[in-house]
Amino acid sequence: MSGQNRVIVLLLGVLAALVIVVGGLSAVLLLGGGEDGATTTVDGGEGGGLTTTTDGDDDDETAGLDTGGGDAEDASGRLRLAGSDPVTMDPHIAGDSGSAEFIVEIFSGLLTITPELNIELDLAESFEVSDDGLVYTFTLRDDIFFHQGRRVTAEDVQWSLERAASRELASPTALGYLGDIIGVRERFYEGAESITGIEVIDDRTIQFTIDAPKPYFLAKLTYPTAFIVDRQQIEANPRGWTRRPNGTGPYRLQEWRLGQRIVLQANPRYHLGAPSIREVLYELSGGSTLTRFENGELDIAFISVNDIDRARDPESDIGPRYQVFPQFTISYLALNTNVPPFDDVKVRQALGFSIDRTLIAEVTFNNMLAPATGILMPQLPGYTPDDKTFQFDPDRARTLLAESKYGSAENLPEIVLTEVGGGAEGRIDTQAFIQQWREELGIEVRIEQTDFATILARQDEGSLQMFNAGWIMDYPDPEDILDLKFYSGSALNDVNYNNAEVDAILEEARVEQDAARRLELYQQAERLIIEDAAWLPLYFSQAHVVINADVEGWFEPPMVIPRLRFVQVNR
Amino acid sequence: MAGYIIRRLLWLPVILGIVSFATFSIARFGPGDPVSIAAGQLRDPDVLERVRAERGLDGTVVEQYLRWLVGDLYPGGSGSGAIRGDFGESFIQQGFSVNELIRSKMAISAQLGFLTLVTVFSGGIPLGLLAARFNGTWIDPFVIASLLFLTSVPVLVIIPPALWLFASQLDILPVGGWGGEGLDGIFDIWWIGGVVAVPIPDPHIYLPLFVLSIGGFAGVARLVRITALEVLSEDYVRTAHAKGLKETTVAFKHVLPNALLPVITVIGFALVGILEGAFFTETLLGIPGIGRFAFAAVQSRDYDVILAITVILSTAFVLANLVVEIAYTWIDPRVRLGEAVNA
Repeated sequence: MSGQNRVIVLLLGVLAALVIVVGGLSAVLLLGGGEDGATTTVDGGEGGGLTTTTDGDDDDETAGLDTGGGDAEDASGRLRLAGSDPVTMDPHIAGDSGSAEFIVEIFSGLLTITPELNIELDLAESFEVSDDGLVYTFTLRDDIFFHQGRRVTAEDVQWSLERAASRELASPTALGYLGDIIGVRERFYEGAESITGIEVIDDRTIQFTIDAPKPYFLAKLTYPTAFIVDRQQIEANPRGWTRRPNGTGPYRLQEWRLGQRIVLQANPRYHLGAPSIREVLYELSGGSTLTRFENGELDIAFISVNDIDRARDPESDIGPRYQVFPQFTISYLALNTNVPPFDDVKVRQALGFSIDRTLIAEVTFNNMLAPATGILMPQLPGYTPDDKTFQFDPDRARTLLAESKYGSAENLPEIVLTEVGGGAEGRIDTQAFIQQWREELGIEVRIEQTDFATILARQDEGSLQMFNAGWIMDYPDPEDILDLKFYSGSALNDVNYNNAEVDAILEEARVEQDAARRLELYQQAERLIIEDAAWLPLYFSQAHVVINADVEGWFEPPMVIPRLRFVQVNR
Repeated sequence: MAGYIIRRLLWLPVILGIVSFATFSIARFGPGDPVSIAAGQLRDPDVLERVRAERGLDGTVVEQYLRWLVGDLYPGGSGSGAIRGDFGESFIQQGFSVNELIRSKMAISAQLGFLTLVTVFSGGIPLGLLAARFNGTWIDPFVIASLLFLTSVPVLVIIPPALWLFASQLDILPVGGWGGEGLDGIFDIWWIGGVVAVPIPDPHIYLPLFVLSIGGFAGVARLVRITALEVLSEDYVRTAHAKGLKETTVAFKHVLPNALLPVITVIGFALVGILEGAFFTETLLGIPGIGRFAFAAVQSRDYDVILAITVILSTAFVLANLVVEIAYTWIDPRVRLGEAVNA
């Protein structure tokens, strides 16, 4: 028997080899297109200007393994971050923060926002506002250049804004950010030849005329929709220019390999001073950022709820490197005031008074989110620290429900809460809210989970009854949330909130020239809106990060603003 | 046999037509569309409608399908259409064609899948043989039980401890990611004295390879063990020995082809398993392959990307099955393609 067995072992070894050959053959056939494609991509990429770096791929790959040795000097002045592919590098159509993060470093506009959230001059050297607050005259600096060397003139500014507002581009952000300029709507909807409210006075002077004296107009000019792009580049390569955009920002895009890495290189001619970090590497692939941080592969990592206890412990290895930054992001429960039972303000208030957000933030999020104290976030102009939201008060909630036109929980129509998610269970905090409504009010709320696309479609129809949502500020002005989300005529008012008193205050605040009085108006509106309970504010977000000891000055701004040039790497 | 292969290949377009039309319609029945998602704050129905028309997303499903299929040959279409290899333009990666996006991701998944397949069979077969060889001793049940345990652990569960051990504790492997494009992803070249090039597997591939192989590994080993034991007890093996044939002749002519058959059938299944596993592995280890991309595409209703992936994978499966069938005839003369098989 043993002799026979030996032969069979031998035989089956041969069989193994055969199987591998067949398996390999089918795999090659299976994905043959892919393998051919790989070579084409490399060629195509280089031909298309996607990759031109000559300095080593090898450096990048071994950087994570060889922590000592020859790599050290190469890494000096290089910051290594985790990232993901932007949807687009075109500042005029990008609407997501992921794209904006790159765009604000590569491009710039007339004005910028500082880390302290002040509006400051960027491409403009100075500006004047007419007495009626309608005409803004900007003078450009004389030392501003595109990365590829061409000087930026007032015509470039005009051409860029006209492109951003054009009918063909159909930019999702054009009306929101440029719509105050006279003639932008005509160009956006009717395809007008030019924007009547923009006039080039001379090479370095440009004038904007807006439709009403709006103090927040300047803040909107800091947003990518108002950034300057290179006409020559876009006209020469209308489809592919975003792969190697020619901007005016502190960094230029050196390399972009889809799904693999983005490399930004300091712009030595940057008009506000050459950045300190020579090169910023975004690793677009890879697993857990914290593990990579601990492995010495990344300089910054976000902390998830699983690691937060370790990060907060100053004795732990990552504890000393941990920092928290508040964000301009609020999450809320939206109650559609057109759909029963939320057509009755008392039902909405009853739901608000019967949830204990402080407890839930502690139990479910380990306090990684701060219970919202209102609608305006900390650091935002107009923010007040006192808590304006409903405090947990079940007795009051029961009274309100009894006083509502429905009278009791039994008489309420079915309530469905919609949220993004793919599981059978609701979000953990949603489940806690539902439990509290059941216990305190006897109200049954059903959870419906679906994907983002579906929620968006149903928001447009106005058919959602109650949903979990969030809002990220685009510019640091209360108008960006209160007016956009609660003005009765706003397209973004997805809860159909309609309060004539609030409308009047918001209209007044839009054109109020006295800054202090203006913020008072917004605070007044905020209180009325919270009282009406079309939103139940839940939490303000925070960014929890660990920062490598070699990195100095890193911060997580509350919204996307240029920041790389304020950071240093000491190695 | 050539006739059979040609007939099978002729079926391919029909299958692809059905699959792509089904995917196309199903994707469009879901609520929401890529234009609406890309629109962000711009919630103006007229503008969205206009953009839809520009992107060929207006009209009935059949009209849209025809535009996708033949491009500018159909009124309102653009590009040369899927039939001529143009899968359109992506919404979630604006300014890039679907072909371009998929190619590089496919190349990565293909490399990983191919290596996994090789590992699964080259590791599984010797282990199965080991178990068969020591049938009746403690080694057999030990190997089989350990393998059963490994098979039943999902990929999702293996990844965190593997990361913890190899990346965090031992610090010998990077935490996911992918080394580079093309063969860069698999091999780093080490130069000895600037003359001799030694290909060294890139450190990024060990973890995904390990995680992806573990399940299939066990499956193959168990199958091989059973096959080996079965073939050994067959009458024809005894007869062959009895009539005085050389051991090698018995091995190659009688044992090998019969032992090979069942193993080949699992290649098809193994491919499916690897692709499924790759979906989790790529997502968790951040490998920029097709599985991760497909998920993102479905989430944002990136129609053209979803369709392109479906069509390419359907083609792949049809071809892989064909190869397996051809391999059957090659190994077992009793199987004649396209003819009735008398068992």
